[in-house]
Amino acid sequence: MKISYKWLQQHVDLTGLTPEDIANKMTFAGAEVESIGRMASGTNLVIGKVLSCVNHPDSDHLHVLQVDEGPVHGVHQIVCGAPNAREGLKVIVARTGAKLPEVEIKPSVIRGVESDGMCCSLLELGVDRKYLSDKQVAGIEELPEDAPVGEENVLGYLGLDDVSLDISVLPNRPDLYAYENVAKEVACICERPLIEEEMREIPVKPSHFRVGSLSAKCPIFTARLITGVKTKPSPTWLSRILENAGIRSINNIVDIGNYVMLLTGQPLNMYDADKLPVRELIVRDDLEMDYVAMDGNSYKIIDGDLVVTSGGQPMCLAGIMTADACKVDERTSNIVVESAYFAGASIRHTSNRIGLSSDSALRFCKGINPHQNEYVQKLTSMLLTDLADAETVGETVVYDVYPHEEKVIKTSLSYINGRLGTSFTKAEVISALTRDHMGIAESGDELIVHVPAYRIDMEGEADVTEEVIRVLGYDNVKSIMPTVTLDLTGLTREQKLENAITTHLRERGLTGVITYTLVSKKETEKFAYLNVAAPYVLTNPMTVEREAVRTNLAHSLLSCASYNAAHQNKDGAIYEVSDIDAPGVASRHLCAVMFGERTYVGDTVRRPYGFYDGKGLLTSIMNILGVQPGRYSLSPWSLGKEEFHPYRSCEIRMGKKLIGVLGEIHPNACKEYMLKNAVVLELDLAALLEIRTSPIKASVPLKYPAVTRDLAFVLLRSVSYEEVKRELLRADALIKGVSVFDIYEGEKVAEGCKSMAVTITMYDPTRTLRDEEIVASTEKAIKALQIKFGAEIRQ
Amino acid sequence: MNLIEKAIQIKNQALEALKKVVVPSSLEDFYNQYLAKKGEIPGLMTHMKEAEDKAAYGQTVNATRNEVLDAYMSKKAEMESAKLNAKLKSEVLDITLPGTEEEIGSLNPYWMVIREVEDIFLSMGYEVVKGRDVETDHYNFELLNVPKDHPSRDMQDTFYFSPELLLRTQTSASQAHKMCEMTEKKPIRMISPGKAYRRDDDDMTHSHQFAQIEGLVVDRNISIANLKGTLELFAKKMFGEKREIRLRSSYFPFTEPSVEVDVSCFNCGGKGCAMCKGTGYIEILGAGMVNPKVLEMCGYDPKEWSGFAFGVGVERVAMLRYCIDDIRRIYQNDLRFLKDFK
Repeated sequence: MKISYKWLQQHVDLTGLTPEDIANKMTFAGAEVESIGRMASGTNLVIGKVLSCVNHPDSDHLHVLQVDEGPVHGVHQIVCGAPNAREGLKVIVARTGAKLPEVEIKPSVIRGVESDGMCCSLLELGVDRKYLSDKQVAGIEELPEDAPVGEENVLGYLGLDDVSLDISVLPNRPDLYAYENVAKEVACICERPLIEEEMREIPVKPSHFRVGSLSAKCPIFTARLITGVKTKPSPTWLSRILENAGIRSINNIVDIGNYVMLLTGQPLNMYDADKLPVRELIVRDDLEMDYVAMDGNSYKIIDGDLVVTSGGQPMCLAGIMTADACKVDERTSNIVVESAYFAGASIRHTSNRIGLSSDSALRFCKGINPHQNEYVQKLTSMLLTDLADAETVGETVVYDVYPHEEKVIKTSLSYINGRLGTSFTKAEVISALTRDHMGIAESGDELIVHVPAYRIDMEGEADVTEEVIRVLGYDNVKSIMPTVTLDLTGLTREQKLENAITTHLRERGLTGVITYTLVSKKETEKFAYLNVAAPYVLTNPMTVEREAVRTNLAHSLLSCASYNAAHQNKDGAIYEVSDIDAPGVASRHLCAVMFGERTYVGDTVRRPYGFYDGKGLLTSIMNILGVQPGRYSLSPWSLGKEEFHPYRSCEIRMGKKLIGVLGEIHPNACKEYMLKNAVVLELDLAALLEIRTSPIKASVPLKYPAVTRDLAFVLLRSVSYEEVKRELLRADALIKGVSVFDIYEGEKVAEGCKSMAVTITMYDPTRTLRDEEIVASTEKAIKALQIKFGAEIRQ
Repeated sequence: MNLIEKAIQIKNQALEALKKVVVPSSLEDFYNQYLAKKGEIPGLMTHMKEAEDKAAYGQTVNATRNEVLDAYMSKKAEMESAKLNAKLKSEVLDITLPGTEEEIGSLNPYWMVIREVEDIFLSMGYEVVKGRDVETDHYNFELLNVPKDHPSRDMQDTFYFSPELLLRTQTSASQAHKMCEMTEKKPIRMISPGKAYRRDDDDMTHSHQFAQIEGLVVDRNISIANLKGTLELFAKKMFGEKREIRLRSSYFPFTEPSVEVDVSCFNCGGKGCAMCKGTGYIEILGAGMVNPKVLEMCGYDPKEWSGFAFGVGVERVAMLRYCIDDIRRIYQNDLRFLKDFK
């Protein structure tokens, strides 16, 4: 909200303070001044009179002017291109050396003619284009005939020597949308006296106008009928105040409405009294019809919208915009001035629904002072009388069912100091609250705070506490660490395990990423295998690309891989841990995606990421979790999973529960993500973290030597290592361990076969094995492989 | 020539011969000729019975053998060491080639900031509480003193799944959860990092998804001074020992009084620079005393309990700290960008 500094100076004694000082103090007190704007600027300016104007000898549009700049500066020759330059015109001259917002004036020779200074437009002095007419923009500014030649305070003469403070009004301080309250705030924060003004009362006549409300959302409605007003341009001082607030001056009537709103925070509405069907205004919220507003557009009114009606016809969409049918225009002479209280929520709903906002709607939405309607009416009447020649002013007609109770908050010095951690004296606190325009009474230890009507935000002791420290300053608060009772804290077991896993993944070369939760509905169906549920879908998405909550991480990470592959990172390994939410699902997943090639020793060894890289990660994650290999199983898909390579992927289960998926993605999926290859491992981390593991129990190293024998054999490709291992362990009780050390498939073995080499480990914990036992055991192993798999042993 | 002179002559011959040995095979020949069982020096002993002074002769032969043997041993060691050195030389490596181990992975600065803030507060005795993204209106708004039609709902444009279910707009929702879940009302010291969402268009400084770290302390007699003390310590740990903080009055519905917390600029030390826009301070977090209404709604009697809460913007801290120009980089996960964050 922008406010004129000049206006502020007229209402608070700010002697010796700069706008910057005030901005700084206000900012710390909770009314942040976001910027300080100047209406116009320029040095070395003077008012001049054009003594003569002749055409430039060498140009079809330039003029050569002799300009009288007053007794001090004398007459100077200026070359000027403005079409409106002419003899006798009073002009603004930027003298040589002048600094304007965009340019610095230097003596120059323009097409052979010397030019000493420049005649200016207001645009060149930095005045916003929106406040200027086309004529003002096209040429130089034409000053009135009585403008004093030689006057150097040109900005002051024009009323443009003002700055505006742009205050960021927080939701709890809607009162600061009113200049009068800003003045009170500045007076309080800067410890300066307010300059009170007496208001001239305009005598009123009895009125037959009627007002009322049929809606609880409008508890107050007041109106005054004012006759004989004359529409004309506003005086400069009024235009400037509005312009400083960012509002364009229209005419005196409209400007008065805006001015009163700026001063009091109370939005006004004005109706052309002669256009109202009947001499009454009734507020309703039960209409359903089309409505043509004064902007010429048609809007749909629905049940619940607050509407001001006359004779059953909508005259105003309450708080938002007047109807075209009764708007005030240049021919209007009798007007009805409305000052009412509309519930902010209602105005917001309507305003949002039809997409129409205004300064008044904004004020109603944020909350207004319900106790000042009579004052507002009086102020408006006075201005209409002074600036619009109003002939008669009708008395205020009032509908008011609002409970006008004074707000009183009881608190105490000890509460305030306790919450602040300060040791203010009672006198300090009372003085601060008094400066803040609160009324204070004492009763024993109690402080009874009478809240001024405009402070609609104040509700309880905490608010009073805030006022005290806001006024006295947070620099009075010391830094004190809380004293606590010691208790067991730190990360939970699950949090520690998760950290251990992600740290491990980084040590393995994977990078931790963060991707978006929201995806398109279609994307929620990709890689949706774990915790399957229909996704949450937004009712108000911003785009279809982000309208649903993801159901898995694989798609997000593959998209991330895809982005990288397209940006000169064709090899990579990434992971993410994230919550997964869906109706009935509140889980947490861990996903790793590896794509392209894995490199060793710089780039000297490269091989594509494959299934076993993912399986390796799975194994180490399970190690960290303390889950023994026997507690989970990998098996081929029980359902068709078209996104995975059908023969290089699997599901991971604990008992019957699916806890993860693993595999290389299908060539078609590779194409879709524009990747050469990728391995995905996605785990239901929440389920894994729930697994209880038994405490570690140390095993005693073997007392007698274990014996190993290597076996190499050829068997069908379809036989898995797991089956071989199981068979070998079953073959003889002395065989305690099996591990694979070579796999070969290729030209040297028959088609459909593979060669496998394993080491079997034999031992007896009670004694050393004898040679013949070892031979016999090995024989049994060989036999088992021959019988079970038809394996051909290679000697 | 008597026997002793003979022995000395053989010794001199042997030592002379040893000097000429250069290859291992001739060293072996040398050994066989002089020192082996049937070599010339042990052979001297066979003349013992011919010796006049047997003791003197014996001593001479022994001394001869020892001297030649020592010479032989050192020659042998010398040759072996030369051989080993030659072998080692042949094994020379280019030590500038990369190691066998892969580089360790990086961590998105988003996670780095969360980890670091967690560590600081964990060491102050806080617990880390996780909230969830999908939240009810009740916890995200109502319990935080933002009833329906509250003007401050304008500040937060919310993603809804239904009138009651939404994507949380702030991690403060986890405050309400924690307080409500305490069946026995006990002191609380928690932080809660997590994601939050608002209907903002993604640009250089805005993101529809972002992260906050919520902090909450509830106890008897907690004051603004405690908040200031805690956040000052946090600022020093996070941004450097010389950092100072200052509080500015502000507004959040769930705290009263509310403050914005500025930290003295860690780029210029407070002198004023581009990062702090010349002010010497950088706005880093919002905080305040838990609104008594919030305490009450969450089951803590505001007459007995008080508390403070704060919220840190994760991406903002990451961007300031690591000079990241665009918030979207964080969510883009370009590995060329991430590689520096080890």
